[in-house]
Formats: sequence, structure tokens, C-alpha cells
Amino acid sequence: MRILLVEDDTILGAAVRDHITAEGHSADWVGRLDRAGEHLDAAPYDLILLDLMLPDGRGIPFLRALRRRGDVTPVIILTALDQISDRIEGLNAGADDYLTKPFDLAELSARLAAVARRYSGNPNPLVGLGELQVDLAARTVIRDGRRVDLTAREWALFEAFVQRPGQVISKTQLEDRLYAFGSEVESNAIEVHVSRLRKKLGAGAVETVRGVGYRLGDRR
Amino acid sequence: MRGPASLQGRLSLWLTLGAVLLWAVAAAWTAVHLRHEMDEVFDSALEEAAQRLLPLAVRDIIAREKDDSPDQGVATLREHDEYFTYVVRDAEGQVLLRSHRADLGVFPPFSGMGFADTATHRVYSDAALRGTITISVAEPLAHRWDVAREALIGLALPLTLIVPASLFGVWAAVRAAMAPIRRFRAGIEARGGGDLSPIPAEGLPSELQPNARAVNLLLDRLRRALEAERSFTANSAHELRTPVAGALAQVQRLIVEAPDEDTRSRARQVEAALQRLARLSEKLMQLARAEGGRLQAEAPVDLAPILRMLVADMGRGDGHRIELTLPDAGVRASIDPDAFAILARNLIENALHHDAQDAPVQVSLSPKGVLRVVNTGPVVPADVLGRLARPFERGPTDAHGSGLGLAIVAAIAAGTGGRLDLISPATGRADGFEARFSMSRAEMR
Repeated sequence: MRILLVEDDTILGAAVRDHITAEGHSADWVGRLDRAGEHLDAAPYDLILLDLMLPDGRGIPFLRALRRRGDVTPVIILTALDQISDRIEGLNAGADDYLTKPFDLAELSARLAAVARRYSGNPNPLVGLGELQVDLAARTVIRDGRRVDLTAREWALFEAFVQRPGQVISKTQLEDRLYAFGSEVESNAIEVHVSRLRKKLGAGAVETVRGVGYRLGDRR
Repeated sequence: MRGPASLQGRLSLWLTLGAVLLWAVAAAWTAVHLRHEMDEVFDSALEEAAQRLLPLAVRDIIAREKDDSPDQGVATLREHDEYFTYVVRDAEGQVLLRSHRADLGVFPPFSGMGFADTATHRVYSDAALRGTITISVAEPLAHRWDVAREALIGLALPLTLIVPASLFGVWAAVRAAMAPIRRFRAGIEARGGGDLSPIPAEGLPSELQPNARAVNLLLDRLRRALEAERSFTANSAHELRTPVAGALAQVQRLIVEAPDEDTRSRARQVEAALQRLARLSEKLMQLARAEGGRLQAEAPVDLAPILRMLVADMGRGDGHRIELTLPDAGVRASIDPDAFAILARNLIENALHHDAQDAPVQVSLSPKGVLRVVNTGPVVPADVLGRLARPFERGPTDAHGSGLGLAIVAAIAAGTGGRLDLISPATGRADGFEARFSMSRAEMR
């Protein structure tokens, strides 16, 4: 997923960015709301991690403005405000989840995945695809009873297909999802990852739709 | 005798007593004065009668001596009630003439002209022909007393009407004057414990305006102090949580990225210490909040959704071990929602921590505002139960907690006038532990 992280604390921000990047997501990290707005205008995001107390304002009005504009990007609030009234205010403003600091990075991952699953329309983390059994929560793929090890990038790519079964995803969309602003993207990076996925999961796991992009292989 | 406690009662009583007393004094003074005037009128009538009668009597007697007739009486036209009786006597005291009802016993011997009093009568005497003929006119004193009594009754009669009428009038007037004070009092009583907005003091008597101002100033100071305290707690929470969150996240990254097991295990120790620090600081801030006040909401809130959200949130980390029972209708109470959430969270955390078999923890909220949290486990001895709500006091358990959870709950219960009961074994069971928080009646609206 391509995630926008809005957090002004550099130590926490860096750790969260490293963590979600290590899980195969692409992360853009900003410390101010105005920068967050610019990023949202410039690129599509799959999820926003939003701190509530930022140097140039509070996160709740920002979130309300976002929802008023009709933006439905999932938002998880990360905040030090732990009162139930803050939580209710946050959720009422349009947040999908609420995580109070300090939190476990593992819990953050679980919530990211849960929110992503809800948005994909199937909250069940277990997806069966022919000979493949995918557990979106545990981030595992079982092929013919044996676990297949995927790198973070490969998993992120595969998850994108699993979450949008039947949809064609363009190469640019996949690059956005996998790489943050400013990172070096080799021109054939997506092709390389797709071919590795096919090698590990079977040649039919990912189909190429010529000239448009890729989609989950039809294995029925 | 104890007087009435209320200002209204006291004013009514004393004003009525005062009015009655004044009336009584005025009536007494009038009666005395009247009596004096009456005496003058009666005396002059007595004197007038004597002086009118005497020449007639003298002429009559002289005429009689010429005729030498022995008639001593005066022919009377008819029998009638006499107020005045008289006798005419000669120098030896021989009765020459008397009114037909005159009782000779009441007339003292002639001792000179003028007024004289006997035990029963007022007598006026006069003399003619150089004292050879005297007249005494007597009037019974009882007659004068009768007149005086009638006058007095006439004056006192209104009193029997005036006492109840003035009592009612004074009461009504005082009550009307007290109306703004009653409104002010009702204004204080009507608000919940958390409502610290100024109380309207329009129409309050000027004597009480300073009091109303003082009350409102006090409320304002209290509100500002509580708000400052609240924002301080919230800010310290933020200031404390963010660095801990950063350190925790970094050390968790370190655990993943560490090249060798030794570094990883050290990083895990730092992680554990940080987590303990995070828990402890959270509990200390909760305790500060619980003991600080502002535990009541400005307006009643429905507690059911709060509990639902809390349980959903807590259940995520701990499997689905929480069984929640909520009444169909909402449970509205004027407890501060954050304080209630802290209280419920601590009770549930406590139950999850100390549950012996990792069995489901039962959480229920009754329509009357009783929150019950029940977990399984061995019976907690009574003497331990009594100590559990003290800070840093733990039951016989291996579970590591902050030891502050129940102290926080107890502080919130005390601050909201609610009741915390720790019961073991749980109600209707042979084992287990039950924590029961009953909201005060005033909280339930």
C-alpha cells in the first residue's frame, strides 16, 4: 500500500516509516498538515496515518475537511490523546481506526491490514485462490500445503492484486504503491517483481493485460 | 422553644408578633384614656343631676312643711331602671326625700360637698340652706365598669381578625419578596454536579447580590482551575507519550534489524522496560485525573456506546474474551464519559489480568447504572479485598500490573459519589471475583 504518514515527532516518525517500508508498503512521511495536503493532491494514497497534534494545526479539522471534499482514503489516527471522548471525536470526524501512543509496531501492522481488508470489501483475512491459500493478516501464502516465502516488496505487490480481484492495475499504480516520492524506481522494477511472483506462486498467479497493466490470475 | 428555621418563617412570625403587640399596646392606651374621659363625663353627669335635683328638693320640702303633710316620697311616673339614685337628708341625717330605688345602705353619712367613693358606688354630695339640707347622688361603679368593658371588647375584637389576617398577609408578602432567592436556590439545585456555568441572579435583592456574585465568581474560578488541570493532564499525557512511543517504536525496529541475538535480547529488555514505563505513566496520569475532579459531565451522556467502543477496542488485543451485556435502552448518566471509560477500562483490564483460566470476562451495565465486571479465579480472602483499592496494593497474584487500577477506580467512584464493591466469590458463584460500580442516584438522570 502507499501510505501517507503525518507525524511531527522525528524519532517516532522514522521508526514508523521504516517499519511500514520494511513490510513492503511505500511510505511518504510529512510533519505538517500543509505538506500532507500537498501530497494528497499529488498522488493517490491507500491509507493515511494521521497524528492529531501537529505544529500547524490539529488533525481533526484536517480530517473533516478531507471527508467534506469527498476523499474516502482510509485514515488511522495515531495520537497521544487517549480519552474516549477524543476517540469518539476522531471516529466521528471520519477516521477508520484510532491508535493511541505508545503502540506496538505489530499492532499498527494489524490495524493497517484490517482497515485495508475492510476497504477491499472482504474483512476475512483468509482468501483461497485455487491452489493458493492467502492469509492477509499473517501475510503468508500456502501453495500445495507448503508455505511460500515472499519478500516484503513481493508481498506488497501480491496483496494489491488479492485486494482487487479481477481489477486491472496499471504499472504506474503499482509503482506508486511500492515506492515513495523521491525513491529511485528502476524502469523494469515491477516486471522483475511480477516475474518473481510467478516463479514462486505459479505462472498463472498474475496475468498481464497487454498495454494496460496486470491483474490477479484467473485460476478457476 | 425553637423558632422556625427558614427566613420566611422567622420574618412571618416576628412581624406578626410585632403587629399584634403594637395593636395591643395601642388598644390598652386607648382604653385607659377612654376610661379617664368616661369618668369625667359620668362625674359631670352626676354633679349636674345633684345640682338640678337639689333646688327642686328644697322647694318641695319647704312646701311640704307649710302644708305639714307627711308625704316623704316623690310620686314616680312608673317603675324603671335607675343608674342614678339619690337621697335628700336634713342636718341630722334624717332622710327627707329619696329616689324610689335608692338603697340607703350605699349612701355614706354626709361628710361635705363633692365626690366620694364607696366600695360599690361613686357618690356626689351637695348641700343647701347652709347645710341643713343635703343631697347625695350615687352611681354604681359596676355600671362604669360595664361601659369600660364594652369599649375594651370593641377595641380588642378586631385583634382576633387581625392576627390571622396579618399572619397571612405578612407570610404572603415575605414569600413574594423571597421569590428571587428561591429561584436562585433552585438554579443551584437544578444543575448537575458537572455544570459550573454561572447561576442567573436577576431580581435578587441587593443584600444578596454580593453573595450571588461570590458564588458565580467561585464557580468561574473552579471551572477555570478544573479546565487548567484537565488541559495540563492532557498536555502532559501528550508530552510524555510521544517520546515513549518514539523510543518504543525505535527499539522494536532495532529488535528486527539487530545483527545478532545478543543485541536483540538487550533490545527486548529495553522494550519491556519502556512498556512498563508507558503503562505506569498512563496509570499515574489516570490517577491524577481521577483524583483531580471534573468527573461529572455538563450534560448526561449515554454510557452504552462508550462501553461498547471500549470493549471492541480492548477485545482486539486480547482475543474475544470479553462478554458484554448492555440494556436495550441507553443508560444516561452525568458521569464524565472519559472518567467512566477510565474506570471501566481499569476494571476490565484488571479482570483480564487476573483471570485464572483465560475464561471470558463478563461485563454488564444495568439500566440503573450498575457496572459489573466478573472474572473467574480463586476466591480472594476478605482482608485482601479490603486492601485492594489502595495504590500499589496487589492481590495474591503472579500477574504483573501497575497496582494502580483499582485505586484509580476507587478515586473515580469516590469523586462521583458512586460506590465500588469488590466481591469474592462473585455473586451466584463459588469462585471468581466481581467488581461492581454503582453510580450515585444523582448521576442517573
